[in-house]
Formats: sequence, structure tokens, C-alpha cells
Amino acid sequence: MKKSQRLLSMLISTALILTVAACNSKKDDTDKSEQQAEQKAEDNKGAEAAPAVEVEKTLFPKGTMTIYGYGNPQYLQYYYDDFLERHRDIAPEVEIKIVQAKNAQDAREKISMTYLSGALKDLPTCTYIDPVGLKDLANGDMILDMTDFLTPLLPKMVEGATVDGMVDGKMYGLPESVRPQLLFYNKSIFDEYGIDPSQMTTIEKWIEVGRELKEKSGGKTYLSYIDPGKNAWRYYGRRGLMPQANGRIWDDEGKVVMGTDPGTKKAMETLDTLMKEDLLFKSTIFEPPLYDACRKHQVATFYIGAFWDEFLRKNVPEMAGEWRVMNAPVFEKEQQGGAPVTGYFVILNNPDDPYTELAKMLWEDFTFNTEQRTKWVKRVDSENGPYANPISLEMLDDAFWKEPSDYYGGQSFRTAEAQGLQNPSKNLPVTAQDAEADVIISAELEAYVAGNQTMEEALQNMQKNLEGKIGQSEVK
Amino acid sequence: MNSKRRLSKIFIHAALCLVSIVCLFPIVWMCIIAFKDPSESVSGFSSLLIHQFSSQNISRLMALIPFGTNFKNSILSTLGGTITTLFFCSLAGFGFAKYRFPGRNGLFYFLIATMLVPPEVGSVPLFLIMKKLGLINSLWSLIIPRMTTAVGIFYMRQYILGVPDSLVEAARIDGCNEFKIYYRIVLPIIKPAIASWTVLTVVARWNDFFWPLLFLRNQENYTLMVSLSMLPFSEGMSTPWPVIMCGTMIITLPVIIVYLTMQLFFKEGITEGAVKG
Amino acid sequence: MIQALKRYKWPYLFIMPFFLLFLIFQLIPNIFTVVISLTKWNAIAKPQYVGLKNYQLLFCDQMFWDATWNTFIYWLISGIIIIVLALFIGSLLTSKQLKIKKIYSTITFLPNVCAVISMAIIFKLFFDTNEGLFNSILVSVGIPKQEWITGASLSKIPVIFLYSWRNIPWYTMIIVSGLLNISPDFYEAAHVDGANTVQQFFKITLPSLSNVLFFCFITLTSDAWKIFNESYMLKGPSTSNISLFQYMYDSGFTIFKMGYASAIGVVLTVILLVVSIVQFIIRKRQGEV
Repeated sequence: MKKSQRLLSMLISTALILTVAACNSKKDDTDKSEQQAEQKAEDNKGAEAAPAVEVEKTLFPKGTMTIYGYGNPQYLQYYYDDFLERHRDIAPEVEIKIVQAKNAQDAREKISMTYLSGALKDLPTCTYIDPVGLKDLANGDMILDMTDFLTPLLPKMVEGATVDGMVDGKMYGLPESVRPQLLFYNKSIFDEYGIDPSQMTTIEKWIEVGRELKEKSGGKTYLSYIDPGKNAWRYYGRRGLMPQANGRIWDDEGKVVMGTDPGTKKAMETLDTLMKEDLLFKSTIFEPPLYDACRKHQVATFYIGAFWDEFLRKNVPEMAGEWRVMNAPVFEKEQQGGAPVTGYFVILNNPDDPYTELAKMLWEDFTFNTEQRTKWVKRVDSENGPYANPISLEMLDDAFWKEPSDYYGGQSFRTAEAQGLQNPSKNLPVTAQDAEADVIISAELEAYVAGNQTMEEALQNMQKNLEGKIGQSEVK
Repeated sequence: MNSKRRLSKIFIHAALCLVSIVCLFPIVWMCIIAFKDPSESVSGFSSLLIHQFSSQNISRLMALIPFGTNFKNSILSTLGGTITTLFFCSLAGFGFAKYRFPGRNGLFYFLIATMLVPPEVGSVPLFLIMKKLGLINSLWSLIIPRMTTAVGIFYMRQYILGVPDSLVEAARIDGCNEFKIYYRIVLPIIKPAIASWTVLTVVARWNDFFWPLLFLRNQENYTLMVSLSMLPFSEGMSTPWPVIMCGTMIITLPVIIVYLTMQLFFKEGITEGAVKG
Repeated sequence: MIQALKRYKWPYLFIMPFFLLFLIFQLIPNIFTVVISLTKWNAIAKPQYVGLKNYQLLFCDQMFWDATWNTFIYWLISGIIIIVLALFIGSLLTSKQLKIKKIYSTITFLPNVCAVISMAIIFKLFFDTNEGLFNSILVSVGIPKQEWITGASLSKIPVIFLYSWRNIPWYTMIIVSGLLNISPDFYEAAHVDGANTVQQFFKITLPSLSNVLFFCFITLTSDAWKIFNESYMLKGPSTSNISLFQYMYDSGFTIFKMGYASAIGVVLTVILLVVSIVQFIIRKRQGEV
């Protein structure tokens, strides 16, 4: 016993020394990198003093350019590394590092906290962000105005790509992808029950098909799914039925109209119909039980954004050949397609950052370099990774973006995605209050989905709580 | 009498077996799923069996996160946190238990009361303070604030109260200074308490999630817990569940191993007889 | 004063680190939080002083009341479950008829070793409505599927289950050490008096454990009111199982209402203090501390 005790105390003291040493060396490292950063900043100032014409040829100093990303940013690293290899003449010793954030809010939180602490050197050069976060960062003067840079490029891009990335008439967001709302359907289910999927062009007919499926399968097959959490509002509401039915949260002055607007009512009543007739399979999206339900042919269609493609490919690879895609159904009266979702890339307003220009070049290369982009997509596709359709019109014209996809039984997913962008409806306007509004609306909708209140009550409560907690939004 | 005793013995064993199963089941289940092929169903009863064994999940995981660096960070912050906590808590516990000084009781009640003030509430200002101290992104930010914990001091004090005063007095007469008394006399006696507190602290530090998430801003500085928590939550991320389970398994095993080793090391087991009074 | 400091420099030196660290890393941030709670601030623009408006809004906010109620339920129900089961398991583990104690005590402590994050993922699979193992078991014995996490009425159960599962071992450990310190003479005497096991438990075991149990209650209170990970990971629909701390976190880091979040934090601290002081007073009435 005594021996073992001595051993233990020896172990502990060694460990103590080791830890202290290791932590110290860590600290030294950060000190060093701080010095380096300062050095770099000075170097850069020197470079700026040089004639402006030389900018193109300026060597970017040695170091690491940091980018915040969410989702599966690891796949982008392939492209970035390759980009650096191609630009060793101007950036011989630069590395690009992607820092994984949980989601757009997380990226925004990290950036604003770093700003708050005044440690500009810890900021990333650029970040991926959603329109709400973009608005906050732009209002705080934390990101760079890209209007001059983007304006000449506009004719080369998909229409409306920069709209959600604008604040006060200035363009802050470099569009990364514009993805439409689509309808994914399982062809083998439709074959099995002898239903023609091509009739699902309108939401009314889509619901009709749901009834037929339900009846013919004896209640086993549902038309689609519903998430019991916040994604019900996100995918059926904000990004789905609401813009298609011209629904509104705020009126033009920013007053709450959620509970009274006829468009909102139409959107929500459509969801109510789907729920009342039990056409939606209740299961959390992105989680295994939903994938299992897909395998068991319990879910026939997905009315969702184009991003769902990568989830199907990755999570139910054995269903290859069963799924097909078509444009999202439209309301018979409104006749407008789903609202596209734009992801943005923003560059931080950080005068000390030597890589601001490099970040612009990177975005431009990724957006317009057809050859390299195609090469990258091929690689990512082979690993079942995520990639979106390009926003460059020229690139979209390339034969590569019309190639058939094995997963969709020979149908070209890329073509379908491009088609989905036709006849778009307008996204709900994003105000600084929308993040909070989403929380309030979602809470009531979740209570509705859980069966705790009727849709009418839900809408009334949304109106009441939006007025009570936010009052009025800053629509500009 | 004898049959009654046997009956109660059977009851005790049955009850403890049931408890053990409830305790073990989720852990074992997690390990089963960790070795399933990502394409396999993890629902219902089929989740209990491996139909298609796969040891590839670990390498898939390694491709997603900088595992080595994160693992090292976890080890360093756990080790540093545990050792400093043990030292400062036992020292303060000794101070409260074996000395009479003005304000002792008042300070001790105050210490107990601090347990009720949730530090998480002040997380935003705390972040700014950390920044001022230059500790953001440093593992010290996880170690320093919790070098002393109220509950640890309370625990150590209770244990040290049981150390006979005569031993302390005798050492003092022998000319030991006060720190030497702590080091030479008290510390060896309270070894069982140190051992139990080691396990509890290692577990708490290793599993810590909230603070690393706040103070570490960079994937290279993340602890394993933070990196792994990104897997199932990240938006648009489609990590298959067996890979996630593989991650949670890997993160759970080291503490289980530490715990079991300590448990074997001490004859009585560290979870027994840890607290006195 | 200085003389006292000099005379008692050793003990003061020994306990000083705690008070120093408490001041810097806990007290000052908490006071700052009170200041922030009087402002409107999104962590980007300049904070705007708004007086007590955040508190006014808070008391009219149904979500806040839901969160408070849920947290109260978590505290009460899991408190009862944890203490009762910890006492039960503790008694079993210290039973004289048990020969192979160590293996049981080793296994029963394991849940506390596992990280909440990993276990929450497992419990989420376990309690899933459509494909969860638990519902599969229910169906196989003829009970219809229940909406454990996805339904508003049951969604607190998985949270309580996970919280209790992970915390019972810790309290069992504390109680076991308390039980081991009860002199066997007491039981001998009771045995001679003809008291049965149940009577022994209530007449001897419980009173002797009163100090230990009080410690358990206080720790449970300060821990359960701060419950976060469990309800965050096993989130149910709407506010059905949101905890107070989680609501604070969401308000602060999801929608960036820092002032509002701070106000929730201040209220949470006040609730904790009040609940604990009440416990202390009850304890004092019983004539002990």
C-alpha cells in the first residue's frame, strides 16, 4: 500500500510539472504569434505605402487566413488548398484554415464577442453567414461594403443573388450559393401505387396526391414529414409556404400582421390541412428515424430546399435510383415558385488583416472559375459531400452542370436545381428583429404541431407575443 | 431466520443487478452502435445488434476533426485543472479545519453561500475579463477560475476535521512550519479523500463543455468535448450516427479507464468512505 | 487588524486563493451582469440604458414563466427521485449481507463518469417516438407508442430521466460515506429492542444522515436550477421542457438580447438564493446547522 501511495504522489508531481511546462510553452507560442501578427501588420502598412499600381503583384505575407464556416466546411478546404497552390506566386507562404462553427448564429456570436474584446487579430478574414447575421454585422460596421467590387460582376450572376445581402442599399454579402425550394419524391412509391407524380405541380394537387397515397397504402405512406421542433417553421413557413402565398410577418411600416394577414393565413391553413388529414409523418429532420422512415417507404415526398440532396445521398445511399426531383409545387392562385435561399460570404472590416484582398480573389475564383470548380465538385461528389449549383451564368451553361445523376436514376439533379430557380417568389424581408420573431413564431407553431393548440390559436398567440415582445420591426 | 436472511440476500443481489444493468446499458449500447456500419439502421430493436461490423468509423471521425490536438488539449486542461484544484482545495480545507482565526465561521458560511451563485450567469462579462487577462484561447482559462471550488474546500475541510489535532500540535512542537505541516502531516492522511476528489474532478473537467465552448475560439484550441459536440449539431452537417457514437464512445472511454484504474488502485475503492462527518 | 493578519497569516494565506478567484471570476462578472440587465444591447451596437424595462418585459413573458415552471419541476421531481434512489442504493451497497461490494459500487458509479453530451445523444435515440428502443419495447408488450420528446406533455420525462441517471451515483457516494460513519452499536441496540429493518431505517439511519442529506439538498438545489445540457440536447416542442438557464442562453447567444438574457440570469440567481435560504431556515428551525 505504502509503495503504491508513493508511486501515486510521484505520478502526480511529474504530471504537474509536465502540465505546467506544456501550458507555458503554449503561452509562449501565442505570444510569439502575437508578435508575428504585429510584425505582419507593420509589413502590410509598408506595402500600402508602395505605389497603388503594384497591388496586384503584392506578395501576401506568410501566415494563416482564417475562415469561419458551418455545415461541412471541410470539403471546401480542398478547393482552398488548391487555390493557394495555383497562387503561390502572390501568396507563397499563406495557409487557409477553416474554423468550424455550429451554425450562422455561432459564427456571428464568435465574431461579435471578438470585436467586443477588441482583439482584432483573433478575427477571421471572412465568414459564411445568413442574412440576419449579415444585417447585424453590417449595422455594427464589422463587415466590408462590397458594392464597388460586386456591381460589375452582377450581369455574370444568377438574378437576385445579392438581394438578401444588402443593407441600406449597399451590398455586403458575396453570394456563395442560391438554392431553390424543390420537391423530392420517391418514384418507386408512386410506381407501386400507380400514381402519376408529374401532377404535383400545384400545392392543392400535391395534397390530393397525399390523400391518394394514404388511402392506397392503407395509412402506411405519408405525403411528407413534419419536424416537431424549430425546423417546421423554417422549412414549411419562412422558406416554404409563406413566401409562396405572399404571407407576411410585418406590414410595410413594421407593424405585426402575422395574425391578420390573408397570405399568412393561407400558408398556415395549408399546413393545417396537411396536419389535420394526417398526411405528415412527425419526425425530427436530420435524425436517423426519419432516414429509416424513408427506407421503409413511409415518406413519399419532401417539400424542402435543394440542400436536402446531400442529406439523401449521404444518409440513405442505398436508396440510389429511387428519388427524383421536380420544382416545388405552387399555389393555384399565386402561381409562384419557392423562394431561393442565398448563403453569403462576408469579409470582415479589419484594417490589420493582410488577406482581405486574397479573400476577394478566393471568392471570385470559386464563383467564376469553371474549370477548377468542376474539378472540385467531381471530387466532392465522389465522396458524397455537399456542393451547390454555381451562381455564375456562364458556369451554369457548361455541359457539366447538366450531367445526369446516378442517385436520381439518371435525372440531372443539377439541371433540376437550376430549373427550380425559375419563377421564384420573394423571400420574407429580413429585419434585425427576425431572429427573435422566428423564436416566438416557432414556439407557437411547435405547440400547434404537438397538438396543444389549434392553428387559429397559434396565429393569435403569435400576433400577441410578437406585439408584446418586439412591438415593431425596423423595416427599412 | 436463516431462510429469511437468504431471502434478503437474494433481494439485495437482484436489486443491485437491476441497478447495474440500468447503469451499464446506455454505455454498452453506445459502444454497439459505434461499431455499426454507417448505412445500418439504428432504430428499434435492430439497434441492439451489429449486422455489419465496421471499424472504419474511427478513421471517418479523424477526418472530420483534428483529433490529436483536441485530445491533447483535453488531457492538458484536465490534468492541470485537477492538480491545481486538489492542491488549493486541500490547502484551504486545512486552513478552515485546523486553525482558529477571526472571521473563520463567517468566511466559511460565505464560502458555502458562494456555491449558490451560478458563475454561468456572468458568462459575458467573464469573457471580457478573460480577454483582459489574455487567456482567451488558452487552456489556462479553463484551469485558473476553478483552481479552488467551494464544494471542494467544503469536502476537504470535512475530511481534515477528522485528522487528530494532536498530530498537528506535535509537528508544530517539532518545529515544522505551517506549510510543512500541511505537506508532511495532513496530506498523507487525507490521501483517500484526495483520490476520490481526483476522480470527481477529472470527470468534471474532462466532461466540461460550457466553458471551453466560450473561451476557446479556434478548432485547434478546442477540447475534444467541444469538437465532438459540433458533430451532431452543426447545421447542414450530415455525420452518420455510428460515427457520432464512435466519437462519444472515444470521449467516454478515457475517463472510464481513469476511474477503473483508480478504483483498482485503492483497495477500498474510491467511491467508498470518501466523506467523513 | 494588521496584528491579527500577521498572527494568523498562515490560515489566511491558505484560504486566500479562493476568495481572490471568487472575486475576479465570479463576483465581478455577476455584478456586471446586473448592470447589463439594465440595458438594451445586442453585443454589437453600444448598450442603451433602459432601466427596469427588461424585468418588466420578463414578467409579462409567458416563455419565461414556462421556463421557470419547468425548472421548478426538474428540481422538485428529480430531487425526490435522486435522494430516494440514492438512499435505496446506498443502503443496499452498505448492507452487511453483501460480500462483493466493490464490483457493484464500481458499476453503479459509472453513469456519473460519462459525459452528458454523449449520453444525451444515446437517450435521444432511446426515447425517439417512431423508432426508439423504448417505444419498441412498449409496443411489444401491447402499449401504444408515446411521444416522449416530440410531445408537449411528456417531454420533461426524458430530461428528468437523464438528469437523475447521471446524478444518482454522485449522491449515492455521498450517502454511502455517511452510512459507513454510523456506528454499528446503534443498530445492535435497536436490534436488541426488536426493531425491524424499516423501523431501524427511520429511527436510526435517517436522523444520523441529516447532515449528509442537508448537504445533498443544497448541492442538488444549486445544480438542478442550473440544468442546461439535458434539456438543451433533448429539446421538446415549444417551451414544453425548456429550462431557465437554457432560456437565458438562447436569449443571449441565439437572438443576442444580452440585456434580457442578463435579466433572466439575475432572476435565476435570486431564485437560487431564496430557495437555499429557505432550506437553511428550515434546517435552523430543526435546531441544527
